[in-house]
Amino acid sequence: MSALLDIRDLRLGFKGLRGITEVLHGIDLAIAAGERVALVGESGSGKSVTARIILGLLQEARAARVSGAVEFDGRDISTMPARQRAKLRGTEMSMIFQDPTSSLNPTFTIGRQFAEVMRRRQPEMSREACDRRASEMLAEVSIPDPARVLSAYPFQLSGGMNQRVMIAMALVNHPKLLLADEPGTALDVSVQALTLRLMHDLVERHGTAVLFISHNLGVVREFADRVYVIYRGRIVEEGPTRALFDNPGHAYTRALMSAVPRITGAGLPEVPEVSDDFLAPMVRHTGGAA
Amino acid sequence: MSLLSVESLSKTFQTPSGPVHALRDVSLSVERGECLAVVGESGSGKTTLANMILGILAATSGTIRFDGRELPVRRGPEHRRAIQLVQQNPLSSLNPKRSIGASVRLGLDTYGIGARSERWARVEAALEEVGLPGEMRRRGPSGLSGGQRQRVGIARALACDPELLVLDEPTSALDVLVQARVLRLLNELRAEKRLTYVFITHDLAVVRNVADRVAVFKSGELVETGETARIFTAPEHPYTRSLIGAVPVVDEDELQLRNTLAGEQ
Repeated sequence: MSALLDIRDLRLGFKGLRGITEVLHGIDLAIAAGERVALVGESGSGKSVTARIILGLLQEARAARVSGAVEFDGRDISTMPARQRAKLRGTEMSMIFQDPTSSLNPTFTIGRQFAEVMRRRQPEMSREACDRRASEMLAEVSIPDPARVLSAYPFQLSGGMNQRVMIAMALVNHPKLLLADEPGTALDVSVQALTLRLMHDLVERHGTAVLFISHNLGVVREFADRVYVIYRGRIVEEGPTRALFDNPGHAYTRALMSAVPRITGAGLPEVPEVSDDFLAPMVRHTGGAA
Repeated sequence: MSLLSVESLSKTFQTPSGPVHALRDVSLSVERGECLAVVGESGSGKTTLANMILGILAATSGTIRFDGRELPVRRGPEHRRAIQLVQQNPLSSLNPKRSIGASVRLGLDTYGIGARSERWARVEAALEEVGLPGEMRRRGPSGLSGGQRQRVGIARALACDPELLVLDEPTSALDVLVQARVLRLLNELRAEKRLTYVFITHDLAVVRNVADRVAVFKSGELVETGETARIFTAPEHPYTRSLIGAVPVVDEDELQLRNTLAGEQ
């Protein structure tokens, strides 16, 4: 199978005063074109650093030791010169962050920031053409008055509005892969639910593949086709969303699932914070998609 | 008699762009030993309410009674001791330059609780109550995990021998496995010590598993209040239903319940 993103035996260590701290211990992860894949884990599990390696950002950090293959669209990102990697960002792959308001530049209007993004792909694009295209994208994320939003500064818009702007901006260059790191976690639940639905529809329409990084199992269940569960730098379980949620096979995944409070009021079971079972070999679900 | 009762409480902030009604004519009560969840999104007024209960903010109008007596904004040490806060972010609520023990002890010294010579023992007992080793009091907060820090935050409140805890999103910053354990701890402590909780959160799934009653706030108004079991079987206000409809769910039973509750208009 030729995947859009194919990560094999990815290892990461950070050099510190007391030697190298291993953060990722050999991760295998693949995403097909147009597929929505979630990487779910707790803080410190290595999910965000994985996204930063895919973007080619950590390779540039002095203290980071990255090894293994990260193939994107047939090219290995880890061996690519830094300038080529930089060219991919914002064009072939883009990213959405947790807090939309602080990831937009407060000193430029939304329209100007859109133009900057679009000119990464087409440097000659006129501002009028950029505004036209940006308006179309804003309409796609159900923003009723694109012209007003384009002339606004991020701090003049609500968090939910900024989140939609971020989604539109991330997709305006038709990237093949969208990395979404805890999108909307900083927003109210109802706004988060709405923006996730918008994002889901939009990537489906555009055929964009997504790596969705989250600690929230409920959100993952609603968004992703397939799920990887990561624990302390190792993938412990992988499978189609439905199969994995209905029948979690790994002790860590089972612990996570039972620890999530339910609106049905199932109570709060005694769940260990750490356990040797969490280091058991990886569980893979084959087939059985919903 | 209710331990805490709030009567026609309002708070208006004067801003350059006009008055902001953060809380409008809110009345509610909390019985001794009860856990009342205060639910709402940002701007709903839930933190404003908490700040007035704690005496951090003065009400524009209305009264707050504690154990039958009206609570003034400027409070004596007895009321300040009896009503304690557990904050959301355990990282920023502990002084990085103090030992854990010194942070926990601060309340004891401020309110003059116990004899001076007994206070370290009280600090250690409070740490042990939340499942931390007593000798941890000598350490600084920097080496602690998020769950341990939140336990210290709870121990700090408990050391003052409070009657009412105002818990402001106490587990929102925690990982799910840690959250489950901290929530269990809070449930156990409430039962053991007959504590009363005002539990502020936006997470309805947490509410379902910790609260006896729920008060739903929207834009400064109390839109619905009722027993937890009733709210999650027959929510009345459309806003409550929409909040339940937005909860991310992890299993089929939850999905069914959510769709049923959110769908009935």
